[in-house]
Amino acid sequence: MDVKFSLLDLWVVSPLIALFLFSIIPLTVKVFNENREGNPFVTMSIGLLGVILATGLIGTYKDISGIYFQDALVIDGASVWLGFLIMGVTAVTLIFSRENMATRNRHFSEFVFLLLNAAIGMLVVVWSNDLIIAFIGIEMMSLCLYVLIALSSEERLSKESAFKYFVLSSFASAVLLYGLAFIYGLAGTTYLHELVNRAPDLMGHNLLFTLGVVLAAVGLAFKVALVPFHAWAADVYQGAPTPITAFMATGVKAVSFALFLRVVLAEVMVSPESQGLVHFLQWLAVLTMLVGNIAAISQSHFKRMLAYSSVAHSGYVMMGLIAAGMAGPMGDLAIRSVLYYVTVYAVMTLGAFGVISLMEKRSESSIHIEDLRGMAQRNPWVALFIAIFMLGLAGIPPTVGFFGKLYVFTAALDQKLYWLVFWGVVSSAIGLYYYLRPIVVMYMEEQGEGADAVSSRQLTSFTVAMTALLVLFAGILF
Amino acid sequence: MLLSALIFLPLLYAAVIGALPRTEWIRPTALALSLVHLILGLGIFLQFEKGVAALQLVEKTPWLEQFGVHYFVGIDGISLWLVVMTLALTPLVILGSWTSIENRTKTFHVSLFALLTTMLGSFLAMDAILFYIFFEASLIPMYFMIGIWGGPRRIYATVKFFVYTMLGSLLMLAAIIALMLMTAHQMGGQMSASLLDFYQLQIPFVAGEWLTTQTLLMFAFAIAFAIKVPMFPFHTWLPDAHVEAPTPGSVILAAVMLKMGSYGFMRMAFPLFPDAIEYWAWLFVFISAFGIVYGALVAMVQPDIKKLVAYSSVSHMGYIMLGLFAFNIFGMTGGLYQMLNHGISTGALFLLVGMIYERTHSRQISDYGGLAQAAPWFSIVFLIVTMSSIAVPLTNGFVGEFLILLGAFSASKIYGAIAVTGVILGAAYMLWMVKRVFFGPLSPMLSKYSPEKLDMNWREKVLMAPLVVLIFWMGILPNHFLDWSRESLEHLVNNRYTYELSIHEKDGHDGR
Repeated sequence: MDVKFSLLDLWVVSPLIALFLFSIIPLTVKVFNENREGNPFVTMSIGLLGVILATGLIGTYKDISGIYFQDALVIDGASVWLGFLIMGVTAVTLIFSRENMATRNRHFSEFVFLLLNAAIGMLVVVWSNDLIIAFIGIEMMSLCLYVLIALSSEERLSKESAFKYFVLSSFASAVLLYGLAFIYGLAGTTYLHELVNRAPDLMGHNLLFTLGVVLAAVGLAFKVALVPFHAWAADVYQGAPTPITAFMATGVKAVSFALFLRVVLAEVMVSPESQGLVHFLQWLAVLTMLVGNIAAISQSHFKRMLAYSSVAHSGYVMMGLIAAGMAGPMGDLAIRSVLYYVTVYAVMTLGAFGVISLMEKRSESSIHIEDLRGMAQRNPWVALFIAIFMLGLAGIPPTVGFFGKLYVFTAALDQKLYWLVFWGVVSSAIGLYYYLRPIVVMYMEEQGEGADAVSSRQLTSFTVAMTALLVLFAGILF
Repeated sequence: MLLSALIFLPLLYAAVIGALPRTEWIRPTALALSLVHLILGLGIFLQFEKGVAALQLVEKTPWLEQFGVHYFVGIDGISLWLVVMTLALTPLVILGSWTSIENRTKTFHVSLFALLTTMLGSFLAMDAILFYIFFEASLIPMYFMIGIWGGPRRIYATVKFFVYTMLGSLLMLAAIIALMLMTAHQMGGQMSASLLDFYQLQIPFVAGEWLTTQTLLMFAFAIAFAIKVPMFPFHTWLPDAHVEAPTPGSVILAAVMLKMGSYGFMRMAFPLFPDAIEYWAWLFVFISAFGIVYGALVAMVQPDIKKLVAYSSVSHMGYIMLGLFAFNIFGMTGGLYQMLNHGISTGALFLLVGMIYERTHSRQISDYGGLAQAAPWFSIVFLIVTMSSIAVPLTNGFVGEFLILLGAFSASKIYGAIAVTGVILGAAYMLWMVKRVFFGPLSPMLSKYSPEKLDMNWREKVLMAPLVVLIFWMGILPNHFLDWSRESLEHLVNNRYTYELSIHEKDGHDGR
């Protein structure tokens, strides 16, 4: 096959190249240094430089929207925005990892290498116009993640978590690929911009095509942890080192939703005759919101609680996603609602996990909600940040979480998804109960001994403070 | 700029309080700042024009343009007195918290000023989303106030308060969004969240059917506000929250935050959904009347003074709602007036109960008796406030209740009659409580304290004086207050089906 590409094509993939080149620097240095781990701060800075350079390159995409690399990659507003989001999440994860005991070990160079390559995989997914390319991106991201989880200096839970994630994620990938095979077989293309034209005729008329779409949807539902495909989330999130948990709960979820969105926008979900898949996805969304929020109530482990909260938030994003699918080409509002929600959710969740990372003294530390007792006296600022993140996740105005809810509710109501919004409202009220729990423990119950923020982790503290400011004010200002 | 200054300056005050280096400075500074703010707020009277129904002192700038959300504040005769009452109560609450809030005073005053911002914001916002943001955000400081400084069951009470109120208001959020989308359909594509645009909407209504747009939207709003008011059967959070809250929290909760609900009915539910409200009025009138009698009966058997006052709130708020749902000028005026009266009398009662509780650490009625001998000043003030609460002529309560009963009787004889029973029951439980607490022989518990310790000190006299003055002023010269609101109330009553609000321009032309 004759592969041709222009300079512009190369320009489009330049962030990927930049990230890759920077990711191998620490590794190369380590090899030439007789396998001695370098200064983790330097390693992190090199990684950050790569991320900053890539962000700058993505920033130049403004005027070049279109399809590149023989129709494999698409650059549009969503691509650029998600590109920024992924870079931001990666940078924050780098900062957290440098100061977390579970990740700052003698494999930190490898860690940075894998993290940046996971980010490359993520960029490929969100830019892909070809389902096969997207699949390759997902696999690249996932492979890096398996190892990133297992690299933790914590011995037991992280290994279990890595293995669990590996098995279940591979299974989900297989289901996704199986679905894609059906789609390709019947539509004759894996390019999304061609699928737009062919899907409406096939969807609902051809049972095998519908089966393919459903299988692909199930595979994606696994990746974004929709109920009933969510069971892996709590264990994996708990076992993974906290910075990586933050990375998975925000970056990986955003990426999977981006792919989900692109598939949905190819109009494979709805056709004039068939509303079947819409109903299927609505039920998934309702179940996800309810089960996620109810399961989170009984969690005493902070990370597990946030894991279930992240499941519940997948349900809210699904509201926007379904609205986008139903609106089709008119769904500008719905698309923006999904991107907005994914972003604000990422900011709030990064902050919440950042605080946990701040409190983990050793690599085996596990923070329970009870450990927050007396936080308001010992670390008033940290307590305030936790309160802001919790209120944000609960969607209380004026935090940015409220504006996210406003966006997705508007998108869903615009498509007349009244019941979906009703269940969203009910589950938000349920969710409020457990989001208030840490605040009650920190401020209102009798004070006592508990976890402490490690004061030497200044970069993490600074990042957490910045995210808290964003959560509090970004909604009002933007 | 005045209204924005009123809304947002308290945040600055909160920052100032937060930056104070020494604990002893906090209370005087907070008191001074709140007095300055009150004086600033009285500036409204210089600019506000009587006899105008339109919205005044308007400020409007685009904010979230994709949703058509504006930063839009304005004031009219309906919100005017609620704003002034909120401003006037704040210094009293700060003065009243002098001894009842013992720890974490800094956090307390920061929360209080944050709460002030959100309360004023809810009364002044004329954009639905802006209103919602303030309405919801007001829960956060109150949540901390009950949860940190409250009684033994404070955590249960505060979480219940937060979750219950939030559930109702989230439904309202969905309804607000539905209205915003409706403005886009009916008014040329652009969404708008301005209440003024909402008033223009034609919302489809079919009488006798459940699932019509207007009925559903009306209930979404009405349930949110009914929880806040609270109307029976949504009142169960209130006794818990009131009893567990510290004195200042109870005062603000009763005096101001409950009014956000009744204000919401007047500002939104009535003019936005006139057909649905009219059709379902029987239901609201019924639960209001039921709430009056139910609240009074439950109050009667309470062994705890604070709980008694809390249940009396359920009964009094029932009056207010009954007056509003009479849909005539008497009921509407009485309802608004009674909102202020309830704020003053129940606020004063909570302050008084707090004062005596600080001394004896008991709120059980059975522990008391003969307090009048031991604490004459306290007893006189308590009696005056009780008179106001049970609507004795010459006190403010009489004016409000009389107007409400007048309105209720003109609307429906039966409900008027039920409401009158409530007046009798109200007098019964209050006076019975007064008898048991203040008269008879001195109880063993009280005899342990010296009279000088039990009676009011100078701070508490200063604190109660303005309230007592207001009780008589509002009772004897109600027109001093009602003149400012009459035009807006008449406009609401007379044009309920075609309600619209224009923006009053200073040079005499009313534009939209």
